[in-house]
Amino acid sequence: MLNFSVNLGSDADSSIVYDLIIIGGGPAGLTCGLYAARYKLRTLMIEKAPMTGGQLTTTEWVENYPGFPEPVLGAKLAKDMENQAKLFGLEIEYEDVIKVDLAPKIKEVITAENTWKARSILISTGSSPRMLGVPGEQEFSGKGVSYCATCDGPFYPDKTVAVVGGGNSAFEESLFIAKYAAKIHIIHMLDKFQADQVLIDKVKANPKIELITNTVVTEFDFDQDPRKVILKNTETGKSSELVVDGAFVFIGAIPNTKIFEGQLDLDHGYIVTDQDHNTSQEGVFAAGDVEAKELRQVATAVGDGALAAYKIHKYLDNPEL
Amino acid sequence: MAILDESVIKDTTKALLNMVKEVRLVLFTQGVECSYCKETHQLLEELLTTNKLLGLEVHQFESDSDAAKKYGIDKIPAIAVVGEKDYGIRFYGIPAGYEFSSLLAAILMVSTGKHKITEAGMKFMDGLKKPVHLQVFVMPTCPYCPKAVMLAHQMAYFSDKITADMVEISGFPHLTQKYSVQGVPRTVINEKWYLEGAAPEAMVMKKIEEAIKHA
Ligand SMILES: Cc1cc2nc3c(=O)[nH]c(=O)nc-3n(C[C@H](O)[C@H](O)[C@H](O)COP(=O)(O)OP(=O)(O)OC[C@H]3O[C@@H](n4cnc5c(N)ncnc54)[C@H](O)[C@@H]3O)c2cc1C
Repeated sequence: MLNFSVNLGSDADSSIVYDLIIIGGGPAGLTCGLYAARYKLRTLMIEKAPMTGGQLTTTEWVENYPGFPEPVLGAKLAKDMENQAKLFGLEIEYEDVIKVDLAPKIKEVITAENTWKARSILISTGSSPRMLGVPGEQEFSGKGVSYCATCDGPFYPDKTVAVVGGGNSAFEESLFIAKYAAKIHIIHMLDKFQADQVLIDKVKANPKIELITNTVVTEFDFDQDPRKVILKNTETGKSSELVVDGAFVFIGAIPNTKIFEGQLDLDHGYIVTDQDHNTSQEGVFAAGDVEAKELRQVATAVGDGALAAYKIHKYLDNPEL
Repeated sequence: MAILDESVIKDTTKALLNMVKEVRLVLFTQGVECSYCKETHQLLEELLTTNKLLGLEVHQFESDSDAAKKYGIDKIPAIAVVGEKDYGIRFYGIPAGYEFSSLLAAILMVSTGKHKITEAGMKFMDGLKKPVHLQVFVMPTCPYCPKAVMLAHQMAYFSDKITADMVEISGFPHLTQKYSVQGVPRTVINEKWYLEGAAPEAMVMKKIEEAIKHA
C-alpha cells in the first residue's frame, strides 16, 4: 500500500525569544513539545532530519509501546505524535544545530541558517547507531554494510545477510529483513542474548534465521566476490569465514552530544541529569535516550519528555527569572 | 478510491498556502508496462486540487518523444517540476512515503524562490563551467533520503549547470545493478562518481569538484 508523508518546516521567526527550544524531534522531544504547547509556552522544535520521529523512523513495527495491542508502525507513531503536538501549537523547523551557547540567561541555538534564542532549552538529540570499528566497515558503509533495515532491507531479496548484535534491535530488525532475505546469520559476541525473551522465541522459530554465539566480526572482506565476513570465536580464538551478500550492524548507540561537550556534564557521552531532568546548566534540561540512564525505549523517552516539560514550565514561572 | 487520504490533503493544502508563483508538473507516463505510472498520475491529479497555482501537463512517453527529448526523460513515470523555467528538477518513480515531502519541497522552492544553499555553496556553483547531473537513489521508507534529494534539487534550482533526479529504486530494479545500489540514499554524480548517505552540502560540493576534475 502507498502512503504519503508531509514534513515541511513552519515559518518560525528567529527574531523572537522563545520560552523553550527543543533540540531533536524524537519521541522525547515530541512529547515535551506536546506538553509545553499545552502549557502555552512559546515552543520551537529544531530537528536536523527532514522529518520528526528520530529512531522511530528507522524501525518498522513497535510492539511494546502501550496502547497498541496490534503492533504500530514506527513511522506512523512518530507522525501521530507530531500531529498531536502541532495541534496545540508546536512549531518545527528542520535545521541542523551546529553550536549552542547554554550559559547565558537567554540561550542561543545556532544552525547553518539561523540563530535561535530561548529562555530554556530541552536537549533530546537521542543517539545514532554505533559502528563496529573493524576493517572494511567504513569503506562499505552504504555499499553492503548498513545500519537501517527499513532503508536497505529490500536490497537483499533471496540473499544471505549477516546481522551483528544480540539485543532487541538486532532481533527485531532481523525479523524485518527476513521478509526479503533467504538466510540471516545473527552474530553475537556473548553466549546469551540481551533481547527480550518474546523476540528470542520468535527469532528461534524463524527457519530463515541462524544464531551464531560467542563470535565477533573482525573484518568485512567485501572487496571481492563472493563477499565474506571474517569471524572469530571468542572462546576458541579460531577464525572462520561467512559468505554473505551484505551485513547489518545493530550493536547499540552513541549519544548525539558532541555539540554540548564542555558546556554540560557528560558521562560516557550521555548527559548527566537529576530526576527532574535538569542538566548541569541552569535552564537546560534533557530527556530521552541522550540522558545517562539504563533503559532506552519509546515508553521511557515519552515519560522523560512529559516530566521535563512540567519542570520547564515551573522553571519559567519563576518571577525572578 | 483516492490515493491521498483526507489528512494528507489537509496537511498538503496548508503547506502549499505559501506558494507565490505558478508551478507546472510535467508528467511522463504510459498506459502499459510501467509500474506506478497510473498511481503517479492519480497522485498528481489529487495534488492539483490542493492549490490553484499548480498545473499539470501530461505526456505519453512512447508517442511523445519530442517532449521526452526536450525534458531529457529516459524512464517513467517521470515528473519535471517547472516554474518560470525548467530548473532540471526531476522525480523518477512515484514520490511516495517520505519522498512526498521532497516533491512538496521542490514545488514550494520553485514557487517561492526560497532555498537553503549557503553562501559558500552559491559561490562554488557560480564557478561551475561544466554540466553536473545528480541522481539520488531512494526508497520511500528511508528517513534519511529526502535530505539528499532536497539538497540536490536545491542545487539544480540554483545552478543552470546542475540537473538533479530523485530515483525511486524499487521502480527501476535494473538500475540497482547498473549503479550497484546497496544502500540508500546513494547519489551518483555524472554517472561515475558516488556518494553514500545524506551528505552535508560541503561534502557534495567537494565530490562534484572531484568528479569534474577527473572527468
Ligand atoms: C532499529 C531500532 C529499533 C527500535 N525498536 C524499538 C521498539 O520496538 N520499542 C521501543 O520502545 N524502542 C525501540 N527503539 C528505541 C527507541 O527508538 C528510542 O529509545 C527512542 O526513539 C528514543 O527517543 P529520543 O527522542 O530520546 O531520541 P531519538 O529517537 O534518537 O531522536 C533524536 C532526534 O534528535 C535529532 N537530532 C540529533 N542531533 C541533532 C542536532 N544537532 N540538531 C537537530 N536535531 C538533532 C535526531 O535527528 C533525531 O530525530 C528502537 C531503536 C532502533 C535503532
